[in-house]
Amino acid sequence: MFQIGFDSPGRVIAQGRLDAAQAPHAQEFLDAVNEHCVIDLGGLEYISSAGLGVLLRTHKRLMGGGGGLKLVNVNSHINDIFMYSGFDRLFEIEVAG
Amino acid sequence: MQQNFGRSLDELKNIVAFTDDFFARGDMDPALRYIVDLCIEEIFVNMVTYDTETEADILIEMNPHEHGIEVSLTDFGVDRFDPRDAPPVDVDAPLEQRTPGGLGLYLVLKMVDSIHYEYRNRNSKITFIADRK
Repeated sequence: MFQIGFDSPGRVIAQGRLDAAQAPHAQEFLDAVNEHCVIDLGGLEYISSAGLGVLLRTHKRLMGGGGGLKLVNVNSHINDIFMYSGFDRLFEIEVAG
Repeated sequence: MQQNFGRSLDELKNIVAFTDDFFARGDMDPALRYIVDLCIEEIFVNMVTYDTETEADILIEMNPHEHGIEVSLTDFGVDRFDPRDAPPVDVDAPLEQRTPGGLGLYLVLKMVDSIHYEYRNRNSKITFIADRK
């Protein structure tokens, strides 16, 4: 189960499992975002390389327009994946407290 | 424990249920769960995406291994593909040079304790071990 939606203008909440089956849904949603955006990943349990691709593709597009993605409330498992992938050097990331 | 899965991303949820069952029955360390889920998905998706010359199901086997788990995925009637030969990913590259592809098998090789490849009679079997550190 994966859900993504706006929490408030400029702030998105993603929850559940972002796997290869759900990545097209996440990409379709984020393709409609056109300015700097914070994504709250506090409810995200799992992300695979397909989900990483969605974040990277969106971040690159938004950076081209002077914006970008900021990833917040990131749990330790997902932060490990971000670090292995070098995302900690590409994104602004806030780990869950 | 073993089960066959069709060549569709829709099967990912059924693979998660299968893994749930194995972890519950085997009293496995939940700390291994993320690694196991990720590595199975990456290898399964790679087989479904690139081994298009077959319509056969993919066999997933799970067994306890010392302090962890041994998982095998077998794809039947396909060309050889040893995941250890996957091209490297430069995770230190700047954003403009990063592309979404290639990270899956890179993460598998990075996260498992060991990985083994066997190719016989056009059957491609990838086995990995994830152990409690």
